[in-house]
Amino acid sequence: MSLTDKYKEIVDFAKASAVTNLQVREQNNILYVDGAVSSGTVKDQLWAIYNKIDPDFRSGDLVMNVSVEQAAGAKAKVATESSNLNIRQGPGTDQPVVGKAAHNETVTILSKTNDQWSLIKTDSGKEGYVYTQYLQL
Amino acid sequence: MINKISGLRKTVFLVPALAAITLLSCHSGGGSEPGNAADSSKMTTNSDTAMNTTATAPVVVATDDSLKMGIKDAVKDYPGVNATADNGEITLTGEVMRSKLQPLMMSLNSLHPKKINNKLTIK
Repeated sequence: MSLTDKYKEIVDFAKASAVTNLQVREQNNILYVDGAVSSGTVKDQLWAIYNKIDPDFRSGDLVMNVSVEQAAGAKAKVATESSNLNIRQGPGTDQPVVGKAAHNETVTILSKTNDQWSLIKTDSGKEGYVYTQYLQL
Repeated sequence: MINKISGLRKTVFLVPALAAITLLSCHSGGGSEPGNAADSSKMTTNSDTAMNTTATAPVVVATDDSLKMGIKDAVKDYPGVNATADNGEITLTGEVMRSKLQPLMMSLNSLHPKKINNKLTIK
Protein backbone atom coordinates (compact mmCIF):
# COMPACT_ATOMS: atom_id res chain seq x y z
CA MET A 1 0.00 0.00 0.00
CA SER A 2 1.41 3.37 -0.94
CA LEU A 3 1.72 6.05 1.70
CA THR A 4 -0.79 8.27 -0.07
CA ASP A 5 -3.26 5.40 0.33
CA LYS A 6 -2.28 4.76 3.95
CA TYR A 7 -2.77 8.41 4.89
CA LYS A 8 -5.58 9.13 2.42
CA GLU A 9 -7.96 10.09 5.24
CA ILE A 10 -5.61 12.87 6.34
CA VAL A 11 -5.27 14.30 2.84
CA ASP A 12 -9.01 14.04 2.20
CA PHE A 13 -9.80 15.75 5.49
CA ALA A 14 -7.22 18.47 4.77
CA LYS A 15 -8.80 19.13 1.38
CA ALA A 16 -12.31 19.18 2.86
CA SER A 17 -11.17 21.53 5.64
CA ALA A 18 -9.77 24.10 3.23
CA VAL A 19 -6.16 23.72 4.32
CA THR A 20 -4.27 26.38 2.39
CA ASN A 21 -1.02 25.75 0.51
CA LEU A 22 -1.59 22.04 0.92
CA GLN A 23 1.45 20.11 -0.28
CA VAL A 24 1.49 16.33 -0.35
CA ARG A 25 4.49 14.47 -1.70
CA GLU A 26 6.10 11.11 -1.19
CA GLN A 27 9.88 10.92 -1.16
CA ASN A 28 12.12 8.00 -0.14
CA ASN A 29 9.21 6.15 1.47
CA ILE A 30 8.15 9.10 3.58
CA LEU A 31 5.04 11.18 2.98
CA TYR A 32 5.39 14.91 3.56
CA VAL A 33 2.22 16.91 4.19
CA ASP A 34 2.46 20.67 4.64
CA GLY A 35 -0.18 23.33 4.84
CA ALA A 36 -1.75 26.08 6.89
CA VAL A 37 -5.06 26.17 8.70
CA SER A 38 -7.02 29.02 10.19
CA SER A 39 -7.87 27.26 13.45
CA GLY A 40 -6.12 24.99 15.87
CA THR A 41 -9.16 22.70 15.86
CA VAL A 42 -8.53 21.52 12.29
CA LYS A 43 -4.89 20.88 13.14
CA ASP A 44 -5.91 18.81 16.18
CA GLN A 45 -8.35 16.82 14.04
CA LEU A 46 -5.65 16.09 11.45
CA TRP A 47 -3.37 14.85 14.21
CA ALA A 48 -6.12 12.72 15.71
CA ILE A 49 -6.51 11.00 12.31
CA TYR A 50 -2.73 10.56 12.08
CA ASN A 51 -2.65 8.93 15.52
CA LYS A 52 -5.55 6.66 14.55
CA ILE A 53 -3.84 5.45 11.34
CA ASP A 54 -0.40 5.16 12.92
CA PRO A 55 -0.87 4.63 16.68
CA ASP A 56 1.72 6.53 18.76
CA PHE A 57 3.39 7.72 15.52
CA ARG A 58 5.68 4.72 15.37
CA SER A 59 6.09 4.17 11.63
CA GLY A 60 8.21 7.22 10.86
CA ASP A 61 6.73 7.44 7.37
CA LEU A 62 4.85 10.73 7.65
CA VAL A 63 6.10 14.22 8.38
CA MET A 64 3.08 16.48 8.85
CA ASN A 65 3.65 20.18 9.27
CA VAL A 66 0.33 21.96 9.46
CA SER A 67 0.72 25.44 10.90
CA VAL A 68 -2.02 27.61 12.30
CA GLU A 69 -2.23 30.99 10.61
CA GLN A 70 -1.80 33.88 12.98
CA ALA A 71 -3.06 37.26 11.92
CA ALA A 72 -1.25 40.19 13.50
CA GLY A 73 -3.46 41.61 16.23
CA ALA A 74 -5.26 38.31 16.81
CA LYS A 75 -5.99 37.26 20.36
CA ALA A 76 -4.77 33.95 21.69
CA LYS A 77 -5.24 32.12 24.97
CA VAL A 78 -2.26 30.84 26.92
CA ALA A 79 -2.81 27.08 26.79
CA THR A 80 -0.15 25.75 29.11
CA GLU A 81 -1.05 22.76 31.27
CA SER A 82 -1.20 24.85 34.42
CA SER A 83 2.00 26.89 34.69
CA ASN A 84 2.79 30.38 33.50
CA LEU A 85 4.20 30.84 30.01
CA ASN A 86 7.68 32.28 29.67
CA ILE A 87 7.96 35.42 27.59
CA ARG A 88 11.47 35.65 26.21
CA GLN A 89 13.64 38.37 24.76
CA GLY A 90 14.20 36.41 21.56
CA PRO A 91 12.88 33.30 19.83
CA GLY A 92 14.70 30.48 21.65
CA THR A 93 14.80 28.84 25.06
CA ASP A 94 18.36 30.11 25.39
CA GLN A 95 16.98 33.66 25.44
CA PRO A 96 16.41 35.41 28.78
CA VAL A 97 12.91 35.36 30.25
CA VAL A 98 11.55 38.91 30.29
CA GLY A 99 8.12 38.14 31.70
CA LYS A 100 5.36 35.60 32.20
CA ALA A 101 1.89 35.21 30.83
CA ALA A 102 -0.55 33.47 33.15
CA HIS A 103 -2.24 30.17 32.31
CA ASN A 104 -5.47 30.97 30.41
CA GLU A 105 -4.53 34.63 30.01
CA THR A 106 -5.42 36.25 26.69
CA VAL A 107 -2.52 37.82 24.80
CA THR A 108 -2.22 39.67 21.49
CA ILE A 109 -0.14 38.23 18.67
CA LEU A 110 2.09 40.83 17.08
CA SER A 111 3.79 38.56 14.54
CA LYS A 112 4.78 35.02 13.86
CA THR A 113 8.55 34.53 13.83
CA ASN A 114 8.49 30.94 12.56
CA ASP A 115 6.48 27.78 13.12
CA GLN A 116 7.78 27.60 16.69
CA TRP A 117 7.89 31.15 18.01
CA SER A 118 5.53 34.13 18.07
CA LEU A 119 6.00 37.71 19.20
CA ILE A 120 3.20 38.65 21.59
CA LYS A 121 2.07 41.40 23.91
CA THR A 122 0.16 40.99 27.14
CA ASP A 123 -2.61 43.32 28.24
CA SER A 124 -0.23 44.69 30.85
CA GLY A 125 2.14 45.72 28.06
CA LYS A 126 4.76 42.99 28.41
CA GLU A 127 6.20 42.15 24.99
CA GLY A 128 8.33 39.23 23.87
CA TYR A 129 8.52 35.79 22.30
CA VAL A 130 6.60 32.71 23.36
CA TYR A 131 6.54 29.12 22.14
CA THR A 132 3.59 29.02 19.73
CA GLN A 133 2.48 25.58 20.83
CA TYR A 134 1.20 27.11 24.06
CA LEU A 135 -1.03 29.61 22.29
CA GLN A 136 -4.55 28.59 21.47
CA LEU A 137 -6.18 30.52 18.67
CA MET B 1 20.63 58.14 -37.81
CA ILE B 2 23.36 56.10 -39.44
CA ASN B 3 23.82 54.16 -36.26
CA LYS B 4 20.14 53.45 -36.14
CA ILE B 5 20.13 52.08 -39.66
CA SER B 6 23.17 49.92 -39.09
CA GLY B 7 21.54 48.70 -35.89
CA LEU B 8 18.45 47.82 -37.86
CA ARG B 9 20.52 46.02 -40.46
CA LYS B 10 22.22 44.02 -37.78
CA THR B 11 18.84 42.99 -36.45
CA VAL B 12 17.66 42.08 -39.93
CA PHE B 13 20.73 39.93 -40.37
CA LEU B 14 20.52 38.47 -36.91
CA VAL B 15 16.97 37.17 -37.23
CA PRO B 16 17.56 34.81 -40.15
CA ALA B 17 20.92 33.84 -38.65
CA LEU B 18 19.28 32.88 -35.38
CA ALA B 19 16.55 31.04 -37.23
CA ALA B 20 19.17 29.07 -39.13
CA ILE B 21 21.00 28.21 -35.94
CA THR B 22 17.77 27.11 -34.31
CA LEU B 23 16.92 24.96 -37.31
CA LEU B 24 20.39 23.44 -37.36
CA SER B 25 20.34 22.66 -33.67
CA CYS B 26 16.91 21.06 -34.03
CA HIS B 27 18.16 18.99 -36.88
CA SER B 28 21.36 17.95 -35.15
CA GLY B 29 19.32 16.95 -32.12
CA GLY B 30 17.19 14.69 -34.32
CA GLY B 31 19.29 11.66 -33.46
CA SER B 32 18.09 11.70 -29.87
CA GLU B 33 14.41 12.02 -30.74
CA PRO B 34 13.28 8.74 -29.22
CA GLY B 35 14.96 9.81 -25.98
CA ASN B 36 13.24 13.17 -26.12
CA ALA B 37 9.90 11.54 -26.70
CA ALA B 38 10.36 9.30 -23.70
CA ASP B 39 11.34 12.27 -21.58
CA SER B 40 8.30 14.26 -22.54
CA SER B 41 5.95 11.39 -21.73
CA LYS B 42 7.68 11.02 -18.37
CA MET B 43 7.13 14.68 -17.67
CA THR B 44 3.45 14.37 -18.48
CA THR B 45 3.13 11.52 -16.00
CA ASN B 46 4.87 13.56 -13.33
CA SER B 47 2.64 16.57 -13.82
CA ASP B 48 -0.43 14.32 -13.66
CA THR B 49 0.74 12.96 -10.33
CA ALA B 50 1.46 16.46 -9.13
CA MET B 51 -2.06 17.56 -9.99
CA ASN B 52 -3.61 14.64 -8.15
CA THR B 53 -1.64 15.21 -4.99
CA THR B 54 -1.49 19.01 -5.30
CA ALA B 55 2.30 18.75 -4.90
CA THR B 56 4.19 21.73 -6.20
CA ALA B 57 6.83 22.69 -3.67
CA PRO B 58 9.86 20.49 -3.04
CA VAL B 59 10.32 18.89 0.38
CA VAL B 60 12.43 21.12 2.60
CA VAL B 61 14.67 19.39 5.13
CA ALA B 62 16.29 21.54 7.80
CA THR B 63 20.00 21.39 8.55
CA ASP B 64 21.11 19.40 11.60
CA ASP B 65 22.16 22.62 13.33
CA SER B 66 18.73 24.12 12.87
CA LEU B 67 17.09 20.85 13.95
CA LYS B 68 19.24 20.68 17.08
CA MET B 69 18.22 24.20 18.06
CA GLY B 70 14.56 23.45 17.40
CA ILE B 71 14.70 20.16 19.30
CA LYS B 72 16.14 21.85 22.35
CA ASP B 73 13.17 24.23 22.50
CA ALA B 74 10.66 21.50 21.67
CA VAL B 75 11.67 18.98 24.34
CA LYS B 76 12.35 21.52 27.09
CA ASP B 77 9.01 20.84 28.78
CA TYR B 78 9.23 17.06 28.34
CA PRO B 79 11.52 15.72 31.05
CA GLY B 80 12.62 12.16 30.31
CA VAL B 81 12.60 12.70 26.55
CA ASN B 82 15.91 12.66 24.73
CA ALA B 83 16.08 13.83 21.12
CA THR B 84 18.96 13.87 18.66
CA ALA B 85 19.30 15.06 15.07
CA ASP B 86 21.49 13.36 12.53
CA ASN B 87 21.41 13.70 8.76
CA GLY B 88 17.97 15.34 8.96
CA GLU B 89 16.49 12.56 11.08
CA ILE B 90 15.23 13.16 14.60
CA THR B 91 15.47 10.19 16.95
CA LEU B 92 13.52 10.15 20.18
CA THR B 93 14.48 7.97 23.12
CA GLY B 94 13.48 7.90 26.77
CA GLU B 95 9.94 7.93 28.02
CA VAL B 96 6.85 10.08 27.75
CA MET B 97 3.25 10.04 28.91
CA ARG B 98 0.88 9.09 26.09
CA SER B 99 -1.10 12.30 26.61
CA LYS B 100 2.03 14.34 25.93
CA LEU B 101 3.22 12.43 22.89
CA GLN B 102 1.01 14.21 20.36
CA PRO B 103 1.92 17.80 21.33
CA LEU B 104 5.58 16.78 21.32
CA MET B 105 5.26 15.25 17.85
CA MET B 106 3.37 18.32 16.60
CA SER B 107 6.29 20.51 17.65
CA LEU B 108 8.93 18.24 16.17
CA ASN B 109 7.09 17.82 12.87
CA SER B 110 7.16 21.58 12.36
CA LEU B 111 10.97 21.65 12.40
CA HIS B 112 11.20 20.24 8.85
CA PRO B 113 12.95 16.96 9.67
CA LYS B 114 13.51 14.33 7.00
CA LYS B 115 12.13 11.68 9.34
CA ILE B 116 11.23 11.14 12.98
CA ASN B 117 12.22 7.87 14.63
CA ASN B 118 10.00 7.50 17.65
CA LYS B 119 11.70 5.04 20.00
CA LEU B 120 10.06 6.46 23.11
CA THR B 121 8.70 4.21 25.80
CA ILE B 122 5.15 5.32 26.39
CA LYS B 123 3.93 5.40 29.97
